Amino acid sequence: MSPNQAAARLAMPLVPSDPDVADLATMPRQKAVIRNVDFFYDNFQALKNVSLPLHDKRVTAFIGPSGCGKSTLLRILNRIYQLYPGQRATGEVLVDGENILAPGVDLNLLRARIGMVFQKPTPFPMSIYDNIAFGIRLYERLPHSELDDRVESALRRAALWDEVRDKLRQSGLSLSGGQQQRLCIARAVAVQPEILLLDEPASALDPLSTQRIEELIAELKADYCIAIVTHNMQQAARSSDYTAFMYIGELIEFDETERIFTHPKEKHTEDYITGRFG
Amino acid sequence: MDLYARRRVANGVVMTLSVAATAFGLLWLVLVLWTLLENGIAAITTALFSQMTPPPGSAGGLLNAIFGSMVMTLIATLIGTPTGILAGTFLAEYSRGSRFGEVVRFINDILLSAPSIIVGLFVYGLLVVPMGHFSAWAGAVALAIIVIPVVVRTTEDMLNLVPNALREAAAALGSPKWKVIVMVSYRAAIQGMVTGVMLAVARIAGETAPLLFTALNNQFWSTDLNAPMANLPVVIFQFAMSPYADWQVLAWGGALLITLTVLFLNIGARMLASWSTFKQ
Amino acid sequence: MVILEERTVAADIVLVGRSAARQRRADSIGDAVFRALTFLFALLVLLILGGVIVALVDGAMPALRTFGFSFVFTEVWNPVTEKFGALAPIYGTLVTSAIAMLVGIPVAFGVAVFITEICPLWLKRPLATMIELLAAIPSIIYGIWGLFVFAPFVQQYIQPAIIDTLGQIPGVGALFAGPPLGIGVLTAGFILAIMVLPFISSIMRDVFETVPAILKESAYGLGATRSEVVRQIVLPYTRIGVVGGIMLGLGRALGETMAVTFVIGNAHRISASILQPGTTISASLANEFTEAFGDLYRSSLIALGFILFVITFIVLAIAKLMLLRLQKRAGG
Repeated sequence: MSPNQAAARLAMPLVPSDPDVADLATMPRQKAVIRNVDFFYDNFQALKNVSLPLHDKRVTAFIGPSGCGKSTLLRILNRIYQLYPGQRATGEVLVDGENILAPGVDLNLLRARIGMVFQKPTPFPMSIYDNIAFGIRLYERLPHSELDDRVESALRRAALWDEVRDKLRQSGLSLSGGQQQRLCIARAVAVQPEILLLDEPASALDPLSTQRIEELIAELKADYCIAIVTHNMQQAARSSDYTAFMYIGELIEFDETERIFTHPKEKHTEDYITGRFG
Repeated sequence: MDLYARRRVANGVVMTLSVAATAFGLLWLVLVLWTLLENGIAAITTALFSQMTPPPGSAGGLLNAIFGSMVMTLIATLIGTPTGILAGTFLAEYSRGSRFGEVVRFINDILLSAPSIIVGLFVYGLLVVPMGHFSAWAGAVALAIIVIPVVVRTTEDMLNLVPNALREAAAALGSPKWKVIVMVSYRAAIQGMVTGVMLAVARIAGETAPLLFTALNNQFWSTDLNAPMANLPVVIFQFAMSPYADWQVLAWGGALLITLTVLFLNIGARMLASWSTFKQ
Repeated sequence: MVILEERTVAADIVLVGRSAARQRRADSIGDAVFRALTFLFALLVLLILGGVIVALVDGAMPALRTFGFSFVFTEVWNPVTEKFGALAPIYGTLVTSAIAMLVGIPVAFGVAVFITEICPLWLKRPLATMIELLAAIPSIIYGIWGLFVFAPFVQQYIQPAIIDTLGQIPGVGALFAGPPLGIGVLTAGFILAIMVLPFISSIMRDVFETVPAILKESAYGLGATRSEVVRQIVLPYTRIGVVGGIMLGLGRALGETMAVTFVIGNAHRISASILQPGTTISASLANEFTEAFGDLYRSSLIALGFILFVITFIVLAIAKLMLLRLQKRAGG
């Protein structure tokens, strides 16, 4: 176990991530199931009958050429698309058995369970501390010391604590690009979500920051169900357990990452992976 | 002259005329400011700030007028700013493509450039007639009606500049929409919004016409908001058009005060705006 | 198959339980209240305009009913006999605005061309700011400056020169006749020009900047001179926006009050010569309203205000529509 993981465990003793349970590695639980989902931007159909599972404590990567719908699919999982009229989804998305696309679902409570990190870092125009505390304060009334602890543990999980511990009151905008993205990750994990959605989280970052983000994802997967969209195939091959290849709104192939990249079943997948198009 | 030479001459003429036009415009700016300074500086004495407006033929100051202007400007800003911010927020955050929003935006932009004397007439009918007398309240309301369209426009423009990704990031944490707006969008747009308010204040600092039929004027010191109240622009109007030299000097002094305030606010607003873009 | 325990602990803390549900209820009330609040204040903007129209029509009714449509075409303005006609103020408003446009548009165009095409980069910002300061100076400052500085200057040098030259031409000379008074329609129109040129110039500048660089480069690449690029590429491309900006300037000129009031001379009559005094709608209002005696007098003044409102509303609406069309075309 890395020092980071040990620190994380100490900071969040209530998260029951127990790598000693051998079954965890062999029998991953399905955290969410996407079933027959269509998506429309007004009259344009961006997703066609997509179905696939998302496993808990695993990383599922979505790859495919531009416009294939991978980001669209991700944004269905926390229904962030509902901010925009004219965008709608049909089908089912079951999270722990419950369909989150059903009409009566409270969107804000849903989004507190499913965290999202975007392509470009989006620090709020407030201090680093307030950035992390923002989400926590929405739903919990914590005494000051407890809030401090939560902020610290979130920043530790995002491998940012050591760099910002002395400047928590400084604006989030004063950090570098890579640090800002880790701030956004810390902000997302601070509310203790169950699923983490990462939409090309490293695409705006330099290679060194990208590497650190990938290391972070490897650590975070011990506690969350992670779905990551990436246009970087090598990143998908490196970081994920399962991969979904999409093309023009359809799911072409879904399998364990190792199998998809060595023995893809569909010719289309093979063509994309070997760079024949894309 | 061959064609190319003619083209070159034409180009030279147009370019020279452009330079001349710019110099022409700047000339008047310099002239106005210079004569303002020249004539007004004589009036800048301690008496200006300590004595009331005098009867014709005697010396005095502008204290009651300065006070009245400040009070009415303040009230107008207090009324107009939240109104404008909320209306602008509606246009930016709640009215995506709706007909109602388009109509409001259209009407707001017309009010922005509408003659301010019409606003004065409106408030005259709205407040002065029912109340039976002129008052500082009426003057403040008239100024507020001029503030509102400016603040609506700048608020909407600044909020539209806030990137959607920021809103999505807040929503993705489960924040209700009003918190996204108040705690994230406003904070992101705050500098632009403050600039808008400063420009609005600069605008009403010099407005005369709306006060002519609402607050009117008052020779004496008054803090009664229900009565006519002295104010710089109307005093300048009255004093400048009069034949009395003392009054005319005071008019120049008042004009200089207003101009300095307006320039200060304008340049301050611009500096604030460019400072915030540098921070980005 | 091993059934793993559900990971609910964190969820328990955050979401299960009455506090979260209560928070959500408070949030949705907050959302509804905030939305209603912003909607109400947006509605207020419409109500203000509606109120203006109602107040003006209501106040103007007595005069309009007494004089009927001929109000617009009558020159007489006699408070004593209670005979009022709007022709002189309307004429003055239109003529001063026309002069303002004639002088202001070319100057504004020249300034816009200079700033966008000729000016060195370091000078652009300060220069643009200075031109915009012309717009920031309040109307009354122009008024007092016009009365004490500009009008005497015009009276001493400009007007005699005009009378001696243009005033001598048969026919057209009548436009420039009369004793040099300094104040008058021409002086007012000229000051208006200085006041509106920054507005027109600023909009022209904005629309000039929207011309894609590659379009201009294509023309330069063929060997066009700068003035040719401006006249044949930039202007046609921005035509709608330029007209919109001009209309906006016109709207401002029509409604300007204080500067005009000081220098127009306040004579309710129409003279052939633009060197003579006259009046505009806003100047009449500013000068006479507080001293107006009698309901018909006041109502006639409000009727003037209503006419001004209608004229400026139409002009500003056209300006706005043109600028909206330009925005749509640019995809903005």
